[in-house]
Amino acid sequence: MKRKLQAAAVMLIFGGLKLPLEQHVTHDLRAMRLVDEPLHMGVEGNMGQMGLAATFGGLRGLIATIFQLRAHVEFTRVNWAEVDKYYGFVTQLQPRVARYWEEASWHMAYNAASYYLYNEELKPALRGKLFHDYVQRGNDILKEGLRLMPDNPRLWQKLGDLHWNRSKDYKASGDAYLQSFKHGGLNFTERFAAYAYAQSNDPESWKKGYAILKRLYDENKATPGLIEFLKLLEKNLHIAPDMRIPDPDPAKQAPKPPTGPQR
Amino acid sequence: MTQDSPSSAAASAAPVRFSPRRVWTLAYATMTQLMRMKILPFLLVFCALVALIGVGGSSVVNPEQQLSSFKSMSLGVLQIFSIVFGIVATALLLPKDLEDRTLYTILSKPVPRFDYVLGKLLGVLMLIASGLVIIDAVLSLILWTQQSGLYDAYLFQLHQTKQDTPEAIAQVREIVARQGLTWNLHWAVWAIFLKASVVTTVALLLSCLASSTLFTIVITFCVTIIGHGEALIREFVFQPHLGSTTKRIATLVLAAICPDLAQFDIVDSVANGEIVPWAAVYDMTGIAALYMTVYLFITHLVFVEKEL
Repeated sequence: MKRKLQAAAVMLIFGGLKLPLEQHVTHDLRAMRLVDEPLHMGVEGNMGQMGLAATFGGLRGLIATIFQLRAHVEFTRVNWAEVDKYYGFVTQLQPRVARYWEEASWHMAYNAASYYLYNEELKPALRGKLFHDYVQRGNDILKEGLRLMPDNPRLWQKLGDLHWNRSKDYKASGDAYLQSFKHGGLNFTERFAAYAYAQSNDPESWKKGYAILKRLYDENKATPGLIEFLKLLEKNLHIAPDMRIPDPDPAKQAPKPPTGPQR
Repeated sequence: MTQDSPSSAAASAAPVRFSPRRVWTLAYATMTQLMRMKILPFLLVFCALVALIGVGGSSVVNPEQQLSSFKSMSLGVLQIFSIVFGIVATALLLPKDLEDRTLYTILSKPVPRFDYVLGKLLGVLMLIASGLVIIDAVLSLILWTQQSGLYDAYLFQLHQTKQDTPEAIAQVREIVARQGLTWNLHWAVWAIFLKASVVTTVALLLSCLASSTLFTIVITFCVTIIGHGEALIREFVFQPHLGSTTKRIATLVLAAICPDLAQFDIVDSVANGEIVPWAAVYDMTGIAALYMTVYLFITHLVFVEKEL
Protein backbone atom coordinates (compact mmCIF):
# COMPACT_ATOMS: atom_id res chain seq x y z
CA MET A 1 0.00 0.00 0.00
CA LYS A 2 2.86 2.28 0.89
CA ARG A 3 4.32 1.96 -2.60
CA LYS A 4 0.97 2.64 -4.23
CA LEU A 5 0.63 5.84 -2.26
CA GLN A 6 4.14 6.77 -3.30
CA ALA A 7 3.18 6.04 -6.90
CA ALA A 8 0.10 8.29 -6.65
CA ALA A 9 2.18 11.05 -5.10
CA VAL A 10 4.84 10.82 -7.81
CA MET A 11 2.13 10.88 -10.48
CA LEU A 12 0.51 14.02 -9.07
CA ILE A 13 3.78 15.85 -8.41
CA PHE A 14 5.09 15.02 -11.86
CA GLY A 15 1.71 15.97 -13.32
CA GLY A 16 1.90 19.39 -11.72
CA LEU A 17 5.50 19.95 -12.79
CA LYS A 18 5.04 18.76 -16.35
CA LEU A 19 2.32 21.28 -17.23
CA PRO A 20 4.59 24.34 -17.69
CA LEU A 21 7.08 22.17 -19.58
CA GLU A 22 4.36 20.87 -21.91
CA GLN A 23 3.14 24.42 -22.41
CA HIS A 24 6.67 25.47 -23.39
CA VAL A 25 7.20 22.57 -25.83
CA THR A 26 3.78 23.10 -27.40
CA HIS A 27 4.56 26.80 -27.82
CA ASP A 28 7.88 25.96 -29.52
CA LEU A 29 6.28 23.42 -31.86
CA ARG A 30 3.54 25.90 -32.77
CA ALA A 31 6.15 28.54 -33.50
CA MET A 32 7.81 26.06 -35.88
CA ARG A 33 4.38 25.53 -37.54
CA LEU A 34 4.48 21.81 -36.76
CA VAL A 35 1.54 21.71 -34.37
CA ASP A 36 -1.67 23.63 -35.08
CA GLU A 37 -2.44 26.71 -33.05
CA PRO A 38 -5.95 27.09 -31.71
CA LEU A 39 -7.91 29.00 -34.32
CA HIS A 40 -9.89 32.16 -33.66
CA MET A 41 -13.20 30.87 -34.96
CA GLY A 42 -15.55 32.21 -32.30
CA VAL A 43 -16.91 30.16 -29.42
CA GLU A 44 -18.88 27.70 -31.53
CA GLY A 45 -16.02 27.21 -33.96
CA ASN A 46 -13.48 26.75 -31.18
CA MET A 47 -15.69 24.20 -29.47
CA GLY A 48 -15.89 22.33 -32.78
CA GLN A 49 -12.12 22.45 -33.12
CA MET A 50 -11.68 21.24 -29.53
CA GLY A 51 -14.03 18.35 -30.17
CA LEU A 52 -12.24 17.44 -33.38
CA ALA A 53 -8.81 17.70 -31.80
CA ALA A 54 -9.79 15.59 -28.83
CA THR A 55 -11.78 13.05 -30.81
CA PHE A 56 -9.47 12.43 -33.73
CA GLY A 57 -6.19 13.38 -32.16
CA GLY A 58 -3.37 12.90 -34.62
CA LEU A 59 -5.61 11.32 -37.21
CA ARG A 60 -7.22 14.48 -38.53
CA GLY A 61 -4.93 14.46 -41.57
CA LEU A 62 -5.90 10.90 -42.37
CA ILE A 63 -9.61 11.60 -41.98
CA ALA A 64 -9.32 14.77 -44.06
CA THR A 65 -7.64 12.76 -46.83
CA ILE A 66 -10.41 10.19 -46.76
CA PHE A 67 -13.04 12.94 -47.04
CA GLN A 68 -11.06 14.51 -49.86
CA LEU A 69 -11.07 11.24 -51.78
CA ARG A 70 -14.79 10.96 -51.09
CA ALA A 71 -15.22 14.47 -52.50
CA HIS A 72 -13.28 13.40 -55.58
CA VAL A 73 -15.68 10.50 -56.11
CA GLU A 74 -18.61 12.95 -55.91
CA PHE A 75 -16.77 15.25 -58.33
CA THR A 76 -16.62 12.43 -60.88
CA ARG A 77 -20.38 12.01 -60.36
CA VAL A 78 -20.84 15.78 -60.83
CA ASN A 79 -22.64 15.96 -57.50
CA TRP A 80 -21.62 19.48 -56.51
CA ALA A 81 -23.55 19.73 -53.26
CA GLU A 82 -21.75 16.64 -51.97
CA VAL A 83 -18.39 17.95 -53.18
CA ASP A 84 -19.01 21.16 -51.25
CA LYS A 85 -20.11 19.23 -48.17
CA TYR A 86 -17.07 16.95 -48.11
CA TYR A 87 -14.67 19.82 -48.69
CA GLY A 88 -16.43 21.59 -45.81
CA PHE A 89 -15.41 18.67 -43.58
CA VAL A 90 -11.90 18.66 -45.01
CA THR A 91 -11.32 22.36 -44.38
CA GLN A 92 -12.76 22.08 -40.89
CA LEU A 93 -10.42 19.20 -40.09
CA GLN A 94 -7.37 20.88 -41.61
CA PRO A 95 -8.08 24.61 -41.57
CA ARG A 96 -4.40 25.53 -41.77
CA VAL A 97 -3.79 23.73 -45.06
CA ALA A 98 -4.16 26.29 -47.85
CA ARG A 99 -4.30 23.58 -50.52
CA TYR A 100 -7.66 22.32 -49.25
CA TRP A 101 -9.22 25.80 -49.34
CA GLU A 102 -7.82 26.28 -52.83
CA GLU A 103 -9.20 22.97 -54.09
CA ALA A 104 -12.61 23.52 -52.49
CA SER A 105 -12.85 26.93 -54.13
CA TRP A 106 -11.62 25.62 -57.50
CA HIS A 107 -14.29 22.91 -57.55
CA MET A 108 -17.03 25.44 -56.87
CA ALA A 109 -15.93 28.48 -58.86
CA TYR A 110 -14.58 26.65 -61.90
CA ASN A 111 -15.92 23.11 -62.18
CA ALA A 112 -19.41 23.52 -60.73
CA ALA A 113 -19.92 27.01 -62.19
CA SER A 114 -18.85 25.86 -65.70
CA TYR A 115 -20.97 22.74 -65.43
CA TYR A 116 -24.10 24.83 -64.92
CA LEU A 117 -23.09 27.51 -67.43
CA TYR A 118 -22.83 24.94 -70.23
CA ASN A 119 -25.73 22.74 -69.14
CA GLU A 120 -28.18 23.03 -72.03
CA GLU A 121 -30.92 21.25 -70.15
CA LEU A 122 -31.35 24.33 -67.98
CA LYS A 123 -33.04 27.59 -68.91
CA PRO A 124 -30.54 30.36 -69.77
CA ALA A 125 -31.55 32.56 -66.83
CA LEU A 126 -31.08 29.70 -64.41
CA ARG A 127 -27.74 28.78 -65.95
CA GLY A 128 -26.50 32.30 -65.42
CA LYS A 129 -27.77 32.41 -61.87
CA LEU A 130 -26.22 29.09 -60.92
CA PHE A 131 -22.95 30.12 -62.55
CA HIS A 132 -22.82 33.28 -60.46
CA ASP A 133 -23.88 31.44 -57.29
CA TYR A 134 -21.09 28.90 -57.62
CA VAL A 135 -18.48 31.51 -58.48
CA GLN A 136 -19.59 33.38 -55.37
CA ARG A 137 -19.34 30.16 -53.35
CA GLY A 138 -15.74 29.68 -54.54
CA ASN A 139 -15.03 33.28 -53.63
CA ASP A 140 -16.53 32.81 -50.15
CA ILE A 141 -14.44 29.67 -49.55
CA LEU A 142 -11.21 31.50 -50.39
CA LYS A 143 -12.20 34.43 -48.18
CA GLU A 144 -12.95 32.06 -45.30
CA GLY A 145 -9.50 30.50 -45.76
CA LEU A 146 -7.94 33.96 -45.87
CA ARG A 147 -9.72 34.93 -42.67
CA LEU A 148 -7.81 32.10 -40.96
CA MET A 149 -4.55 32.64 -42.87
CA PRO A 150 -4.45 36.29 -43.93
CA ASP A 151 -0.75 36.10 -44.81
CA ASN A 152 -0.99 33.17 -47.21
CA PRO A 153 0.25 34.29 -50.67
CA ARG A 154 -1.14 31.24 -52.41
CA LEU A 155 -4.72 31.90 -51.33
CA TRP A 156 -4.42 35.58 -52.30
CA GLN A 157 -3.11 34.53 -55.72
CA LYS A 158 -6.04 32.13 -56.20
CA LEU A 159 -8.46 34.90 -55.22
CA GLY A 160 -6.83 37.11 -57.83
CA ASP A 161 -7.20 34.34 -60.44
CA LEU A 162 -10.83 33.87 -59.51
CA HIS A 163 -11.69 37.56 -59.86
CA TRP A 164 -9.79 37.74 -63.14
CA ASN A 165 -11.15 34.58 -64.76
CA ARG A 166 -14.60 34.22 -63.30
CA SER A 167 -16.14 37.33 -61.82
CA LYS A 168 -14.17 39.71 -64.10
CA ASP A 169 -13.73 42.11 -61.21
CA TYR A 170 -10.32 43.36 -62.25
CA LYS A 171 -9.88 45.86 -59.44
CA ALA A 172 -10.49 43.15 -56.83
CA SER A 173 -8.22 40.83 -58.81
CA GLY A 174 -5.42 43.41 -58.80
CA ASP A 175 -5.82 43.98 -55.07
CA ALA A 176 -5.67 40.23 -54.39
CA TYR A 177 -2.56 39.72 -56.58
CA LEU A 178 -0.88 42.64 -54.87
CA GLN A 179 -1.65 41.14 -51.46
CA SER A 180 -0.15 37.87 -52.67
CA PHE A 181 3.03 39.65 -53.72
CA LYS A 182 3.23 41.59 -50.44
CA HIS A 183 2.96 38.32 -48.49
CA GLY A 184 5.81 36.64 -50.32
CA GLY A 185 4.06 35.48 -53.51
CA LEU A 186 6.02 34.83 -56.69
CA ASN A 187 7.24 37.81 -58.73
CA PHE A 188 4.65 37.40 -61.46
CA THR A 189 1.85 38.21 -58.98
CA GLU A 190 3.00 41.83 -58.87
CA ARG A 191 2.96 42.01 -62.66
CA PHE A 192 -0.44 40.34 -62.77
CA ALA A 193 -1.74 42.87 -60.25
CA ALA A 194 -0.76 45.65 -62.62
CA TYR A 195 -2.35 43.86 -65.62
CA ALA A 196 -5.56 43.48 -63.65
CA TYR A 197 -5.54 47.14 -62.63
CA ALA A 198 -4.99 48.09 -66.26
CA GLN A 199 -8.21 46.31 -67.24
CA SER A 200 -10.36 47.78 -64.49
CA ASN A 201 -12.66 50.81 -64.88
CA ASP A 202 -11.14 52.65 -61.98
CA PRO A 203 -8.68 55.50 -62.75
CA GLU A 204 -7.07 55.14 -59.31
CA SER A 205 -6.32 51.51 -60.08
CA TRP A 206 -4.84 52.53 -63.45
CA LYS A 207 -2.41 54.79 -61.60
CA LYS A 208 -1.38 51.95 -59.30
CA GLY A 209 -0.95 49.61 -62.26
CA TYR A 210 1.04 52.19 -64.19
CA ALA A 211 3.38 52.79 -61.24
CA ILE A 212 4.13 49.06 -60.99
CA LEU A 213 4.61 48.47 -64.71
CA LYS A 214 6.74 51.59 -65.23
CA ARG A 215 9.00 50.57 -62.37
CA LEU A 216 9.38 47.05 -63.77
CA TYR A 217 10.04 48.51 -67.22
CA ASP A 218 12.73 50.81 -65.80
CA GLU A 219 14.28 47.79 -64.08
CA ASN A 220 14.57 46.08 -67.51
CA LYS A 221 11.98 43.47 -66.63
CA ALA A 222 9.74 44.19 -69.60
CA THR A 223 7.86 41.39 -71.32
CA PRO A 224 5.57 41.74 -74.38
CA GLY A 225 2.55 41.61 -72.05
CA LEU A 226 4.00 44.26 -69.80
CA ILE A 227 4.65 46.60 -72.74
CA GLU A 228 1.13 46.05 -74.08
CA PHE A 229 -0.53 46.92 -70.76
CA LEU A 230 1.86 49.78 -70.10
CA LYS A 231 0.97 51.34 -73.44
CA LEU A 232 -2.73 50.85 -72.68
CA LEU A 233 -2.32 52.64 -69.35
CA GLU A 234 -0.33 55.46 -70.97
CA LYS A 235 -3.29 56.08 -73.26
CA ASN A 236 -5.88 55.81 -70.48
CA LEU A 237 -3.96 58.08 -68.13
CA HIS A 238 -3.08 60.56 -70.90
CA ILE A 239 0.62 60.38 -70.17
CA ALA A 240 2.58 63.10 -72.00
CA PRO A 241 4.16 61.76 -75.22
CA ASP A 242 7.71 62.50 -74.07
CA MET A 243 7.11 60.48 -70.91
CA ARG A 244 5.86 57.43 -72.77
CA ILE A 245 7.99 54.39 -73.42
CA PRO A 246 9.62 54.31 -76.87
CA ASP A 247 8.73 50.66 -77.61
CA PRO A 248 6.31 49.99 -80.45
CA ASP A 249 3.01 48.30 -79.73
CA PRO A 250 3.54 44.54 -79.59
CA ALA A 251 2.16 42.76 -82.64
CA LYS A 252 -1.43 41.82 -81.97
CA GLN A 253 -2.28 38.20 -82.49
CA ALA A 254 -5.78 37.22 -83.38
CA PRO A 255 -7.29 35.48 -80.35
CA LYS A 256 -7.86 31.80 -80.90
CA PRO A 257 -11.42 30.62 -80.44
CA PRO A 258 -11.97 28.85 -77.13
CA THR A 259 -11.68 25.10 -77.55
CA GLY A 260 -13.87 23.99 -74.69
CA PRO A 261 -15.60 25.07 -71.54
CA GLN A 262 -13.99 28.07 -69.93
CA ARG A 263 -12.00 26.96 -66.90
CA MET B 1 19.05 -27.21 13.41
CA THR B 2 20.84 -26.16 10.28
CA GLN B 3 22.75 -22.99 9.88
CA ASP B 4 23.47 -21.10 6.66
CA SER B 5 27.08 -20.74 5.76
CA PRO B 6 28.36 -17.17 5.94
CA SER B 7 28.83 -16.99 2.17
CA SER B 8 25.28 -18.15 1.33
CA ALA B 9 23.79 -15.80 3.93
CA ALA B 10 25.72 -12.95 2.40
CA ALA B 11 24.52 -13.96 -1.05
CA SER B 12 20.86 -14.05 0.00
CA ALA B 13 21.16 -10.73 1.81
CA ALA B 14 22.90 -8.94 -1.06
CA PRO B 15 20.45 -7.06 -3.24
CA VAL B 16 20.27 -8.25 -6.84
CA ARG B 17 21.60 -5.46 -9.01
CA PHE B 18 20.17 -4.12 -12.22
CA SER B 19 21.63 -5.95 -15.17
CA PRO B 20 21.32 -4.61 -18.75
CA ARG B 21 22.15 -8.08 -20.07
CA ARG B 22 19.24 -9.59 -18.16
CA VAL B 23 16.94 -6.85 -19.41
CA TRP B 24 18.09 -7.53 -22.95
CA THR B 25 17.37 -11.27 -22.53
CA LEU B 26 13.86 -10.48 -21.28
CA ALA B 27 13.28 -7.95 -24.06
CA TYR B 28 14.42 -10.41 -26.71
CA ALA B 29 12.18 -13.13 -25.25
CA THR B 30 9.23 -10.72 -25.26
CA MET B 31 9.91 -9.81 -28.86
CA THR B 32 10.03 -13.47 -29.83
CA GLN B 33 6.81 -14.10 -27.92
CA LEU B 34 5.08 -11.29 -29.81
CA MET B 35 6.53 -12.42 -33.15
CA ARG B 36 4.81 -15.74 -32.60
CA MET B 37 1.54 -13.81 -32.45
CA LYS B 38 1.80 -13.38 -36.25
CA ILE B 39 2.83 -9.75 -36.28
CA LEU B 40 5.05 -10.03 -39.35
CA PRO B 41 2.30 -11.24 -41.75
CA PHE B 42 0.21 -8.32 -40.54
CA LEU B 43 3.07 -5.97 -41.38
CA LEU B 44 3.39 -7.43 -44.85
CA VAL B 45 -0.34 -6.98 -45.48
CA PHE B 46 -0.02 -3.41 -44.28
CA CYS B 47 2.88 -2.73 -46.66
CA ALA B 48 0.87 -4.18 -49.54
CA LEU B 49 -2.05 -1.91 -48.62
CA VAL B 50 0.19 1.13 -48.55
CA ALA B 51 1.55 0.19 -51.96
CA LEU B 52 -2.01 -0.14 -53.29
CA ILE B 53 -2.94 3.28 -51.93
CA GLY B 54 0.14 4.71 -53.59
CA VAL B 55 -0.72 3.24 -56.96
CA GLY B 56 -4.49 3.80 -56.70
CA GLY B 57 -4.23 7.46 -55.71
CA SER B 58 -3.66 8.61 -59.28
CA SER B 59 -7.25 9.81 -59.70
CA VAL B 60 -6.61 12.99 -57.78
CA VAL B 61 -6.05 16.39 -59.30
CA ASN B 62 -2.34 17.32 -59.19
CA PRO B 63 1.05 15.93 -58.06
CA GLU B 64 1.04 17.96 -54.87
CA GLN B 65 -2.35 16.58 -53.89
CA GLN B 66 -1.34 13.05 -54.80
CA LEU B 67 1.94 13.05 -52.86
CA SER B 68 0.41 14.80 -49.88
CA SER B 69 -2.60 12.44 -49.78
CA PHE B 70 -0.31 9.44 -49.99
CA LYS B 71 1.84 10.64 -47.10
CA SER B 72 -1.13 11.68 -45.01
CA MET B 73 -2.92 8.39 -45.56
CA SER B 74 0.06 6.11 -44.95
CA LEU B 75 1.43 8.01 -41.95
CA GLY B 76 -2.06 8.08 -40.43
CA VAL B 77 -2.43 4.32 -40.85
CA LEU B 78 1.06 3.87 -39.39
CA GLN B 79 0.01 5.85 -36.36
CA ILE B 80 -3.05 3.69 -35.79
CA PHE B 81 -1.00 0.54 -36.26
CA SER B 82 1.69 1.54 -33.76
CA ILE B 83 -0.71 2.75 -31.06
CA VAL B 84 -3.11 -0.18 -31.34
CA PHE B 85 -0.23 -2.63 -31.38
CA GLY B 86 1.48 -0.96 -28.41
CA ILE B 87 -1.66 -0.99 -26.29
CA VAL B 88 -2.92 -4.46 -27.15
CA ALA B 89 0.47 -6.20 -27.01
CA THR B 90 1.33 -4.63 -23.66
CA ALA B 91 -2.09 -5.35 -22.18
CA LEU B 92 -1.74 -9.01 -23.18
CA LEU B 93 1.80 -9.54 -21.86
CA LEU B 94 1.34 -9.67 -18.09
CA PRO B 95 -1.87 -11.75 -18.09
CA LYS B 96 -0.29 -14.15 -20.61
CA ASP B 97 2.83 -14.56 -18.47
CA LEU B 98 0.62 -15.19 -15.43
CA GLU B 99 -1.50 -17.70 -17.33
CA ASP B 100 1.55 -19.53 -18.71
CA ARG B 101 3.24 -19.36 -15.30
CA THR B 102 6.28 -17.83 -17.03
CA LEU B 103 6.13 -14.91 -14.63
CA TYR B 104 6.61 -17.17 -11.60
CA THR B 105 9.49 -18.99 -13.28
CA ILE B 106 11.24 -15.71 -14.01
CA LEU B 107 10.61 -14.02 -10.69
CA SER B 108 11.56 -17.11 -8.64
CA LYS B 109 15.08 -16.55 -9.99
CA PRO B 110 17.13 -13.59 -8.78
CA VAL B 111 15.49 -11.23 -11.24
CA PRO B 112 14.43 -7.85 -9.87
CA ARG B 113 10.89 -6.90 -10.77
CA PHE B 114 12.17 -3.69 -12.34
CA ASP B 115 14.30 -5.67 -14.79
CA TYR B 116 11.25 -7.72 -15.71
CA VAL B 117 9.05 -4.65 -16.33
CA LEU B 118 11.78 -2.87 -18.28
CA GLY B 119 12.49 -5.98 -20.36
CA LYS B 120 8.82 -6.32 -21.27
CA LEU B 121 8.57 -2.67 -22.26
CA LEU B 122 11.73 -2.80 -24.35
CA GLY B 123 10.54 -5.96 -26.09
CA VAL B 124 7.32 -4.27 -27.23
CA LEU B 125 9.15 -1.10 -28.24
CA MET B 126 11.75 -3.05 -30.21
CA LEU B 127 9.04 -4.77 -32.19
CA ILE B 128 7.21 -1.50 -32.87
CA ALA B 129 10.52 0.09 -33.93
CA SER B 130 11.34 -2.82 -36.26
CA GLY B 131 7.89 -2.60 -37.84
CA LEU B 132 8.20 1.15 -38.32
CA VAL B 133 11.67 0.83 -39.87
CA ILE B 134 10.38 -1.73 -42.39
CA ILE B 135 7.35 0.36 -43.29
CA ASP B 136 9.40 3.56 -43.45
CA ALA B 137 11.68 1.91 -45.99
CA VAL B 138 8.70 0.78 -48.09
CA LEU B 139 7.07 4.23 -47.87
CA SER B 140 10.29 5.95 -48.88
CA LEU B 141 10.68 3.71 -51.89
CA ILE B 142 7.10 4.27 -53.07
CA LEU B 143 7.33 8.01 -52.52
CA TRP B 144 10.61 8.28 -54.39
CA THR B 145 9.22 6.32 -57.35
CA GLN B 146 6.01 8.39 -57.40
CA GLN B 147 7.82 11.67 -57.09
CA SER B 148 9.98 11.26 -60.19
CA GLY B 149 7.11 9.81 -62.23
CA LEU B 150 4.74 12.61 -61.26
CA TYR B 151 7.25 15.34 -62.02
CA ASP B 152 7.80 14.03 -65.55
CA ALA B 153 4.07 13.52 -66.14
CA TYR B 154 3.18 17.02 -64.95
CA LEU B 155 5.89 18.63 -67.06
CA PHE B 156 4.60 16.73 -70.08
CA GLN B 157 1.08 17.96 -69.29
CA LEU B 158 2.31 21.56 -68.99
CA HIS B 159 4.16 21.21 -72.26
CA GLN B 160 1.10 19.88 -74.04
CA THR B 161 -1.08 22.76 -72.82
CA LYS B 162 1.76 25.22 -73.67
CA GLN B 163 1.97 26.40 -70.09
CA ASP B 164 5.55 25.27 -69.52
CA THR B 165 6.90 28.69 -68.60
CA PRO B 166 10.10 28.71 -66.50
CA GLU B 167 8.07 30.03 -63.55
CA ALA B 168 5.51 27.23 -63.80
CA ILE B 169 8.25 24.59 -64.11
CA ALA B 170 10.12 26.06 -61.12
CA GLN B 171 6.91 26.01 -59.10
CA VAL B 172 6.21 22.36 -59.96
CA ARG B 173 9.81 21.42 -59.13
CA GLU B 174 9.58 23.20 -55.78
CA ILE B 175 6.24 21.55 -54.94
CA VAL B 176 7.40 18.06 -55.87
CA ALA B 177 10.67 18.51 -53.96
CA ARG B 178 8.83 19.69 -50.85
CA GLN B 179 6.15 17.01 -50.99
CA GLY B 180 8.44 14.19 -52.11
CA LEU B 181 10.92 12.09 -50.17
CA THR B 182 12.78 14.18 -47.58
CA TRP B 183 14.17 13.65 -44.09
CA ASN B 184 10.92 15.08 -42.77
CA LEU B 185 9.16 11.83 -43.59
CA HIS B 186 11.56 9.94 -41.31
CA TRP B 187 11.09 12.50 -38.54
CA ALA B 188 7.34 11.98 -38.83
CA VAL B 189 7.88 8.23 -38.39
CA TRP B 190 10.14 8.99 -35.40
CA ALA B 191 7.36 11.14 -33.88
CA ILE B 192 4.93 8.25 -34.41
CA PHE B 193 7.36 5.94 -32.60
CA LEU B 194 7.72 8.37 -29.70
CA LYS B 195 3.97 8.66 -29.32
CA ALA B 196 3.54 4.89 -29.47
CA SER B 197 6.31 4.50 -26.85
CA VAL B 198 4.59 6.86 -24.42
CA VAL B 199 1.23 5.14 -24.95
CA THR B 200 2.87 1.71 -24.48
CA THR B 201 4.44 2.84 -21.18
CA VAL B 202 1.04 4.08 -19.99
CA ALA B 203 -0.47 0.72 -21.01
CA LEU B 204 2.20 -1.10 -18.99
CA LEU B 205 1.46 1.05 -15.94
CA LEU B 206 -2.27 0.39 -16.24
CA SER B 207 -1.62 -3.28 -16.87
CA CYS B 208 0.12 -3.49 -13.47
CA LEU B 209 -2.84 -1.82 -11.80
CA ALA B 210 -5.61 -3.61 -13.68
CA SER B 211 -7.21 -6.92 -13.02
CA SER B 212 -8.17 -7.67 -16.64
CA THR B 213 -6.79 -7.17 -20.16
CA LEU B 214 -10.00 -5.50 -21.32
CA PHE B 215 -9.75 -2.91 -18.55
CA THR B 216 -6.17 -2.07 -19.57
CA ILE B 217 -7.07 -1.74 -23.24
CA VAL B 218 -10.18 0.39 -22.68
CA ILE B 219 -8.59 2.73 -20.13
CA THR B 220 -5.41 3.16 -22.19
CA PHE B 221 -7.50 4.08 -25.23
CA CYS B 222 -9.37 6.62 -23.08
CA VAL B 223 -6.05 8.09 -21.86
CA THR B 224 -4.84 8.22 -25.48
CA ILE B 225 -7.92 10.13 -26.62
CA ILE B 226 -7.76 12.53 -23.65
CA GLY B 227 -4.02 12.87 -24.22
CA HIS B 228 -4.68 14.28 -27.68
CA GLY B 229 -6.87 16.98 -26.17
CA GLU B 230 -4.65 17.56 -23.12
CA ALA B 231 -3.33 20.85 -24.55
CA LEU B 232 -6.86 22.23 -24.55
CA ILE B 233 -7.45 21.01 -20.99
CA ARG B 234 -4.17 22.59 -19.92
CA GLU B 235 -5.05 25.89 -21.50
CA PHE B 236 -8.29 25.83 -19.53
CA VAL B 237 -6.24 25.33 -16.32
CA PHE B 238 -4.05 28.33 -17.15
CA GLN B 239 -7.06 30.63 -17.74
CA PRO B 240 -7.82 32.04 -14.28
CA HIS B 241 -11.24 33.49 -15.14
CA LEU B 242 -12.78 30.30 -16.55
CA GLY B 243 -14.88 27.77 -14.60
CA SER B 244 -15.55 27.10 -10.92
CA THR B 245 -12.91 25.87 -8.46
CA THR B 246 -14.23 22.30 -8.52
CA LYS B 247 -14.09 22.22 -12.30
CA ARG B 248 -10.60 23.65 -12.28
CA ILE B 249 -9.35 21.06 -9.76
CA ALA B 250 -10.90 18.21 -11.77
CA THR B 251 -9.34 19.60 -14.95
CA LEU B 252 -5.97 20.00 -13.26
CA VAL B 253 -6.00 16.36 -12.08
CA LEU B 254 -6.95 15.18 -15.58
CA ALA B 255 -4.20 17.28 -17.17
CA ALA B 256 -1.70 16.03 -14.57
CA ILE B 257 -2.49 12.35 -15.16
CA CYS B 258 -2.56 12.31 -18.97
CA PRO B 259 0.47 12.89 -21.18
CA ASP B 260 0.14 15.52 -23.91
CA LEU B 261 0.17 13.35 -27.02
CA ALA B 262 -0.61 16.24 -29.38
CA GLN B 263 3.05 17.26 -29.03
CA PHE B 264 3.95 14.37 -31.31
CA ASP B 265 1.32 15.25 -33.94
CA ILE B 266 3.65 16.56 -36.62
CA VAL B 267 2.38 14.06 -39.18
CA ASP B 268 -0.14 16.47 -40.72
CA SER B 269 2.44 19.22 -41.04
CA VAL B 270 4.94 16.84 -42.63
CA ALA B 271 2.29 15.58 -45.06
CA ASN B 272 1.70 19.20 -46.04
CA GLY B 273 5.38 19.84 -46.72
CA GLU B 274 6.49 21.63 -43.53
CA ILE B 275 10.16 21.25 -42.57
CA VAL B 276 11.00 19.63 -39.22
CA PRO B 277 13.92 21.45 -37.55
CA TRP B 278 16.34 19.71 -35.18
CA ALA B 279 14.97 21.71 -32.26
CA ALA B 280 11.57 20.07 -32.75
CA VAL B 281 13.15 16.61 -32.81
CA TYR B 282 15.02 17.38 -29.54
CA ASP B 283 11.86 18.74 -27.92
CA MET B 284 9.76 15.72 -28.84
CA THR B 285 12.43 13.19 -27.93
CA GLY B 286 13.16 14.89 -24.62
CA ILE B 287 9.56 15.10 -23.50
CA ALA B 288 8.89 11.49 -24.56
CA ALA B 289 11.95 10.31 -22.59
CA LEU B 290 10.71 12.22 -19.55
CA TYR B 291 7.20 10.72 -19.75
CA MET B 292 8.61 7.23 -20.17
CA THR B 293 11.09 7.53 -17.30
CA VAL B 294 8.49 8.80 -14.84
CA TYR B 295 5.73 6.40 -15.91
CA LEU B 296 8.19 3.51 -15.78
CA PHE B 297 9.24 4.53 -12.26
CA ILE B 298 5.58 4.65 -11.20
CA THR B 299 5.04 1.24 -12.84
CA HIS B 300 7.94 -0.10 -10.79
CA LEU B 301 6.44 1.28 -7.57
CA VAL B 302 3.12 -0.41 -8.37
CA PHE B 303 4.54 -3.69 -9.65
CA VAL B 304 7.05 -4.19 -6.85
CA GLU B 305 4.21 -4.44 -4.35
CA LYS B 306 1.80 -6.36 -6.58
CA GLU B 307 0.61 -9.71 -5.25
CA LEU B 308 1.05 -12.28 -7.97
